[in-house]
Amino acid sequence: MADTITKRVGRAGRGVGSGGAGRAAPTKASRVGHRGVTLAAFAIPSLLLLLLINLYPLVYAGFQSVHNGDLISVGDFVGLDNYVAVLKSPDFWNSAKFTLIFTICGVFGSWLLGLAVALLLRTKIPGGGILKVLLLMPWIVPVVVSATAWNFLVATPQSPLPVIASALGQPNVLFLADPVLAQITVCVFKIWISFPFMMIMISASLAAVDPNVYEAAAVDGATSWQAFTGNTLPIISRSTYISWILMTIFCVNDFPTIFLLTQGGPVGATTSLAVLSYQTVFADMQTGPGVAIAFLMTLVLVVVSVILYRQIRKVEVE
Amino acid sequence: MSQTVAAPAAPAQTVGEQARKRRGHSYHSGKQGQWWRFAVLLVITAIVLVPIAFVFVLSTQPSLGSNASGFTLDNFVNVFTQTGLTTWLTNSLIVTLATVLVAVVVAAPAGYVLSRVRNRLVSSYSLTLFVIQSLPVITAVIPLFTLFANIGLVDNLVGVTIIYVGSTMSVATWMMAAYFDSIPIALEEASWIDGASVLTGFLRIVLRNSLPGILSTAIFSFLLAWNDYLIATVFLRSDPNYTLPIGLETFFQQNATDWGPVMAVAVVMMMPPILIFVFLNRSFSVGGIGGSLAGR
Repeated sequence: MADTITKRVGRAGRGVGSGGAGRAAPTKASRVGHRGVTLAAFAIPSLLLLLLINLYPLVYAGFQSVHNGDLISVGDFVGLDNYVAVLKSPDFWNSAKFTLIFTICGVFGSWLLGLAVALLLRTKIPGGGILKVLLLMPWIVPVVVSATAWNFLVATPQSPLPVIASALGQPNVLFLADPVLAQITVCVFKIWISFPFMMIMISASLAAVDPNVYEAAAVDGATSWQAFTGNTLPIISRSTYISWILMTIFCVNDFPTIFLLTQGGPVGATTSLAVLSYQTVFADMQTGPGVAIAFLMTLVLVVVSVILYRQIRKVEVE
Repeated sequence: MSQTVAAPAAPAQTVGEQARKRRGHSYHSGKQGQWWRFAVLLVITAIVLVPIAFVFVLSTQPSLGSNASGFTLDNFVNVFTQTGLTTWLTNSLIVTLATVLVAVVVAAPAGYVLSRVRNRLVSSYSLTLFVIQSLPVITAVIPLFTLFANIGLVDNLVGVTIIYVGSTMSVATWMMAAYFDSIPIALEEASWIDGASVLTGFLRIVLRNSLPGILSTAIFSFLLAWNDYLIATVFLRSDPNYTLPIGLETFFQQNATDWGPVMAVAVVMMMPPILIFVFLNRSFSVGGIGGSLAGR
């Protein structure tokens, strides 16, 4: 399934519609109109939902971002004041910085770990199937549950990890109370949650590889590292770029992973843009600036996605 | 344990050694290579599972208030009888099952259009679905809150169900379309020649052969609705309407040091996804389906 989704993403990226195996049916002219009506009826419910739940909010959010209202009332038109205020506030730039760190750590940390595990799992090893199932658990368990578990592990001085740290001669390690440690903890938590996704993506593309490629490389005297850079990396490059795009989107948009572990604290050290937007709207009751933050975040996301999309196309051309 | 396993494998190891030598540095052959791989994987798996293992272990440890010691299931009895767990669980089940049902019913026909019709309109629809999927949920949540507050859908299970169905729509439609792609159109064409309408062909021929695709979509929607935190925390405002994620979170905030009952609720919450995963993963790659969930 991961693979079919991957293909569709690629297809959409190339601007190709659908189709796949099925080609347009040669029907009698008299039937075309009737068929069109049925197919339109098929698509309309999902279109309506799309309009209501996805497009309408986007348009209305744009409207809210240029008004000074709250959650219920519209307020007055203020032009780009909200955007200016947001861009001038140090909180925004601190959040942007943390979002960047969080995304880079999340994407590459989970990719490296996922790649390592996928490569280790590739050969037949005893209990490999069970290990794979167990390794997917962080991805399957609801984030509320895993955040609770991680809170137990690190949050208080009586928690297991601080106790171990003090036994090792590092007393008073407060993982969620020290700004830098809290940032590291949140990033590690994100990697822990996300690496199984990378593992699945990479495993799926590795499964498609003919083992003879490696035999041939070995006959030519390639070392393991050369086989890796020369054979493995090119084969997984396409799914790697797609998984990077998806993980970038997941990381930038991520709210629960951070919020459930730290609520954005201590002193705002782990407030990502999504968390800042949430707090601005639902704690400070400032809808305009909150939506403006979400919009700026979306803008950056689109730019990054487009850059990565270009990379995919390049890979495909090669 | 490693010793007992290693002993009988010794002869095979030497065979592997020879093979390795013959082929030079073959990339992934030889039993020798397998054992360090196995050991490394075992260590990684053990570390990765620590947090989840603690959830299970702590849920069976006595609560602070009780004087029992050792293994106990009291926490489970207590959270079911003395907390809102039954309500949260019921709410979660209602919302999740409604989401699954509506999502499949709406996404299947839309996926059929995506799979069978090829024109500019449909391909731009497909692209729109992808773009929408990548927009931050928080951007949509704020305006929707205003809209739903005006029509009485805040703090209402129907409200969150509608949003869940909307959030599943793009991926669910794609998943159905991907499955329909694998069904040859010749089957429908044959039925059209026999006089069947598009609707009949879709219902009798395509859907009937798409059970795995439907199940994948259902699992995806189930996981999205069951695991969601952001939408529920914004829209559900009173305890009788809480779903499990919000119930667990508030219960944890109130009982932060009494881990037994908290982890018992956590176990109840994570069992459905784990069971679905363990029983269905072989046929449906649940992990891959979950891929579209993150960031929600």
